[in-house]
Amino acid sequence: MAVYKRRYNSYTGSLTPTWSRFFVLTRFAFADLFKSRFFVLLLILCVVPCLGSAGYIFIANNKTVQLLMQLRSADFFVVENQYFIVIMIVQAEAAFLLNCWVGPVLIAGDLTNGALPLFLSRPFSRADYVLGKLAVLGLLLSAVTWIPCLLLFSLQSGLAHDGWIWSHLWMILPILLCSAIWILMLSLLSLAVSAWVKLRIVATGVIFITFFIPAGLGEMFNHIMGTYWGALLNFSYMFRIILERGFRDPYRLLDLSGRNEIPVAAAWSALIVVCLLSLVILNARLRARETVRG
Amino acid sequence: MMTPTIELDGLEVQLGGRTILHSLTGVLKSRAIGLLGPNGAGKSTLINTLLGFHVPSKGSARVLGLNSHTSGKALRSLVGYMPENDAFISKMSGVRFVRYMAEISGLPSEQAMERAHEAFVYVGLGESRYRPVGTYSLGMKQLAKLAQAIAHGPKVLILDEPTNGMDPPARKRLIELVREIREASDICLLLSSHLLRDVEETCDEVLILRNGQIASICNLVEERRANRKFLELETIGAEASFTNALESLGCECAVFSSGRIKVVMPDSVEIREVFRVAADRGVQIRRMNHRRDSLEDIFLNAMEQTGAADGRL
Repeated sequence: MAVYKRRYNSYTGSLTPTWSRFFVLTRFAFADLFKSRFFVLLLILCVVPCLGSAGYIFIANNKTVQLLMQLRSADFFVVENQYFIVIMIVQAEAAFLLNCWVGPVLIAGDLTNGALPLFLSRPFSRADYVLGKLAVLGLLLSAVTWIPCLLLFSLQSGLAHDGWIWSHLWMILPILLCSAIWILMLSLLSLAVSAWVKLRIVATGVIFITFFIPAGLGEMFNHIMGTYWGALLNFSYMFRIILERGFRDPYRLLDLSGRNEIPVAAAWSALIVVCLLSLVILNARLRARETVRG
Repeated sequence: MMTPTIELDGLEVQLGGRTILHSLTGVLKSRAIGLLGPNGAGKSTLINTLLGFHVPSKGSARVLGLNSHTSGKALRSLVGYMPENDAFISKMSGVRFVRYMAEISGLPSEQAMERAHEAFVYVGLGESRYRPVGTYSLGMKQLAKLAQAIAHGPKVLILDEPTNGMDPPARKRLIELVREIREASDICLLLSSHLLRDVEETCDEVLILRNGQIASICNLVEERRANRKFLELETIGAEASFTNALESLGCECAVFSSGRIKVVMPDSVEIREVFRVAADRGVQIRRMNHRRDSLEDIFLNAMEQTGAADGRL
């Protein structure tokens, strides 16, 4: 099928491995995303808090700078588990914002003009399709959550010198686990919304509503029934509970209203249920054929 | 022995509790198969089942020996599919869209890009390849769909109503392309259409569906070979000697009033011999209509018959 010959020829060259083809979706989605200046700006803004945190760690480990800044309280600059809880929360919120911008367009663009049958008529399953789209959000949200947190952890380990790394090595696990569940929940939720709602602005609104309306309903339930289980509908709060317990915070930094009685297993379950519901929605929406004619 | 292109073995498909395809059984061996039937006959459902989009409730379907349900992925690796409805990503440029699809089919990035350009030029959209697909006209979108279906060099090309919404010149161009593709390679073609002419011009074998059942499976090549040629003549001065002379050539003649004669000609007799016989006997041929049984006749016959599972026409 050479251009100058204008003749059809079948393809006889090599093929890429089947397992790697989901990444084509990821690559094309990234190429589209990075064409948007707003996205690049948003991504940069999302990592700015980490740069500030790196400065904090530098000052905490540098007595000269502390003296120069005339800081009297040495306790102000302590890099312990609570420090990482705060960083994780800030970055989780940044990930939420990034997800609200990127997630809604990932599947909607393919569904709007019926491109899905083209994907699925190839040796490419629905699972491959979801995996390819999930990888976009997974990589992006990783870049603003656990990757910078681990870099900050490494920076602190390098600057502390006094065996800090060995006494705090356990913190790597909560950094990874808490980020993983948050990223998975956000990604699946926004993909499910993207599969339902085609307009970006509406889809973004639906993602916000999914977070804030159930939380409000849960709060009402708590007040009416005099219980704390309604907080299970507050996904951000469930994440904070997981975070606090994961980082073994003895001071319960985040426990502002006594709702921390919710077991950590229940908090995990709430987020996993959101993931499963999102998968059910994706399973229902991602079909090669939507309607039956005739 | 050559593997049949499509084998249907008691295939039944139910959607929404309703049986759409009823126990389809048949073997189609030709390289170019037409799928005919009125709207709602089950053509698209059959194609979707062959692609593995629908799970058969009974029986099975095989394409090139691969079961559409159990070997769906292997089967789809051989297929290029052009759907009936709009199927594109509107913001992508045409060539990037085709490259994207080719990469998903397994072509490495560079080859996919090369093949995407080639496919676009081949279907005649070379000048428009950098425009977003969403800005294309209906005919251009059809050609872009064809480009994505052939870019990865499939072994089976499935075209579902490929000429929908195209004006006559564009339709002619697309049919020519399909014929070229068919003749230039060993590709198998499955073309679904309710336009008989599209199928007649591109296919060797036809599966006619009606109400989800097989009305007929017809090998057009054999039918064309078997069907005798007819000549309908309007003559002046024709006498018995003229028809006798034609019969001596092997023709069968039926004489009607006003000089009208119907001649059934064997394949060995050329039309010019009829002119020669007429000239020898001073017979004026004022009008001549030469025809074979067309696909339209075959289709209409199939529609008139009920429950003809695999009847030859």
